[in-house]
Amino acid sequence: MLDVALTAAGNVFTFQSLLFLTIGMLIGLVVGVVPGMGGTTALAVFGPMTVGLDPYSALSLAGGLMGAVSFGGSVTSILINLPGGAPNAATCLDGYPLAQQGKAGLALGASASASSVGGVIGVFTLLLVIPISKKIVLAFGPSEFFLLATLGLVTIAACAPGRMLRAMIVGGIGLLFAFIGFDNVNGGTRFTFGIEHLWEGIPLAPAMIGLFAFPEMIELSAKGGSIAKDKGQVGLTGTLDGVWASFKYWKTLLRGSLIGTLVGAIPGVGGTVAAFLAYFSTVQASKNPESFGKGNIEGVIAPEAANNAKDGGNLIPTLAFGIPGTAEMAVLLGVLVLHGMEPGPTMILHHEAEIYGLILTLTLSSILASVIGLMMVRPLAMITRLDAHILVPSVIAISFVGAYANNSLPGDIVLAFVFGVIGYLLIRFDYPRLPLVIALVLGELAERSFAQAMMISGGSWSIFVTRPISALLFALIVMALTYPMIRTLLQRRHSVEEVS
Amino acid sequence: MNKLLAALTTCVGMVTAPVAMAADFPAKNIQFVIPVSPGGGFDTYVRAVAPILERHLPQSVNIVPTNIPAAGGARGAAQVYRAKPDGYTIGIFNIPGMLVPQIRGDSDLQYDLKKMTWLGSFGQDGYGVGVPTASPYKTVADLKALDRPVKFTASGPSSTAYSATMIATDMLGIKREIISGYKGSNDYVLAVIRGDGDAVIGPLPVMEKFVESGELRIIGTFEEKSSVPGAQNAIEMGQPDLSKLSVGRLVAGPPDLPPEVAKTLSESLMAAMQDPAMATWSKESGIAVEPGDAASAKGILEGQFNFYERYSKYLGPAN
Repeated sequence: MLDVALTAAGNVFTFQSLLFLTIGMLIGLVVGVVPGMGGTTALAVFGPMTVGLDPYSALSLAGGLMGAVSFGGSVTSILINLPGGAPNAATCLDGYPLAQQGKAGLALGASASASSVGGVIGVFTLLLVIPISKKIVLAFGPSEFFLLATLGLVTIAACAPGRMLRAMIVGGIGLLFAFIGFDNVNGGTRFTFGIEHLWEGIPLAPAMIGLFAFPEMIELSAKGGSIAKDKGQVGLTGTLDGVWASFKYWKTLLRGSLIGTLVGAIPGVGGTVAAFLAYFSTVQASKNPESFGKGNIEGVIAPEAANNAKDGGNLIPTLAFGIPGTAEMAVLLGVLVLHGMEPGPTMILHHEAEIYGLILTLTLSSILASVIGLMMVRPLAMITRLDAHILVPSVIAISFVGAYANNSLPGDIVLAFVFGVIGYLLIRFDYPRLPLVIALVLGELAERSFAQAMMISGGSWSIFVTRPISALLFALIVMALTYPMIRTLLQRRHSVEEVS
Repeated sequence: MNKLLAALTTCVGMVTAPVAMAADFPAKNIQFVIPVSPGGGFDTYVRAVAPILERHLPQSVNIVPTNIPAAGGARGAAQVYRAKPDGYTIGIFNIPGMLVPQIRGDSDLQYDLKKMTWLGSFGQDGYGVGVPTASPYKTVADLKALDRPVKFTASGPSSTAYSATMIATDMLGIKREIISGYKGSNDYVLAVIRGDGDAVIGPLPVMEKFVESGELRIIGTFEEKSSVPGAQNAIEMGQPDLSKLSVGRLVAGPPDLPPEVAKTLSESLMAAMQDPAMATWSKESGIAVEPGDAASAKGILEGQFNFYERYSKYLGPAN
């Protein structure tokens, strides 16, 4: 393995490969910042342009792009409460309140260091588990997918401390939206109202753009002023403190990274679950859970670390069986095929050096993207000081373009608008918006896996507890639901004892 | 203002200008529609052939692969169907994937494959039956002899994998139960390896890779001559008609394409598929290309229409 890794390193550390790595990263950062445009879209556009290049340059471009997109997405989450992609949504929870308090620099700094450390931990874990990668992938079947999705949905409750009921209501509405479109198990389409555009379900990007960008901009234009409430206090100097914060809260960083790697390893679950689980577990482990959602820096570190660590984990299904773990990986595999690499379970046997090259570029790019990102923090944080009459039209215009750009469908702009109205109503009546996103991301997986698990077990519910991993996940769900309650009870008893 | 007017006039002029004569074809970029998301097999074929096809066209223009993934491919197909018949919009079609909705009579289907101008074929993949390596079942007869339904993994009921499983198990007399809803061929083959089901009926190239990596055993191929050593072929299984089950990748343009334009496209495509560069790519990537001309594409389409019309009761609920 070492000699293959060295060959790969030799091929990656050439002028040309590093040049393409940088180009990929710059594209990734820009694409990540534009709402609606994710790594999938960018890889689909730029991947085929690599046809004339040697495979390592192509891999460098793709790896650089993938590594940088998630940091780009975090930037908008923190600055304007607009997640670049669904996995970035968890970062909004505490990142945006920080920006409102004028601490955008601190949040961006923490985001940068947490994502690069997360990325590196993800890759190292990946290297360690390569020998058992096949076992990991095969250990997760429909019953585990269902329980994982449920665990993700349970985190809905954690999204809005003190407003659990409201979070659940919004989550329920989200699930209703998630069931629109093709019924993958039984065939046919559902709840489409005869609109062909809804056959494929509610596309995530326009829904998120609507939910997050519009309401914020309506609020901002109504109030006037800028995102940072007190312009004088916008701390652009906090960046280094932010970078340092990730190391100060090293437990949070480590927990987020490991959760990210683990969830990334399971094909089809993806970064959104990883980021939210990391956030949720951080809230639960904290001594002051009520400080989250109001600008706790740990609430930025955990999901950011998880989000980048999952890129390493994502490669596990790819290395084991040559199958993509996410849509992004599917496009990446498509790029590899153009360069004569054969996807499928034999890929790691035939193209070992290229695969290690890809791992290396991913690591490099998650570190370098953060460095480049840090250099841009100062101008970026200025966004929070822009006056509403400049910021609002720009963000709305970019958002509409983003909603359309994803699939070039005019219907998506209409959807973005519809979700904009829903999002505004939710804020107006003080309901949290994130549960809707989580439900939209996980609803289909939960439903499909549940139906499959029941078909496999012949209708017996025991499948959710008799398989060891299922049992473990089940226990985690029970714990996640009861732990906050138990803790409150214990605290109450404790304080009663103190009083007496 | 004057500048704006001038620009507008130019735009209108460009739109209304007469279509370039067929002899000059192609005079501008050609859009190659891929009705699925980037990253899949169909996407790969188009993206691999595009730069080679550019070299074989009489005039140098770009081939622009465009993914239009929506409504299970129906939107992309409709886009090609409705395009101006000038040769600047062509598409790749999954046959029978795009054909099944038409036979099933899906509502709002805005294309008719029988009317399209068929230009060529990248070839067809056969189907076969696979079981996990450690499975006790050695032949299709073993599956047939079971006194319980055999669990097969497949994608949703509207998919061709599902129809293929229904049709094949019926022909072979296997009692079946289908665990459906997997996202694609890699997914349902992996599902059977994981133990979600007993066996899988899927495209041979996908299964062969899992055979090479040691996870899967192919116990029967739906070919007239089995390409897998030790596996029974369709004739040995007593059902030669099984060889009609396949996945074809055909290229077509809109209906009523002028014959000269169709000829140029078809011949250039054939030349591109036969180009040594394509052969090198095919060898390196392990993705087979069997170049077929316009007539062979049309023949494949008609054969598939006849076959699936006969088995229309297995095609799942209409959408």
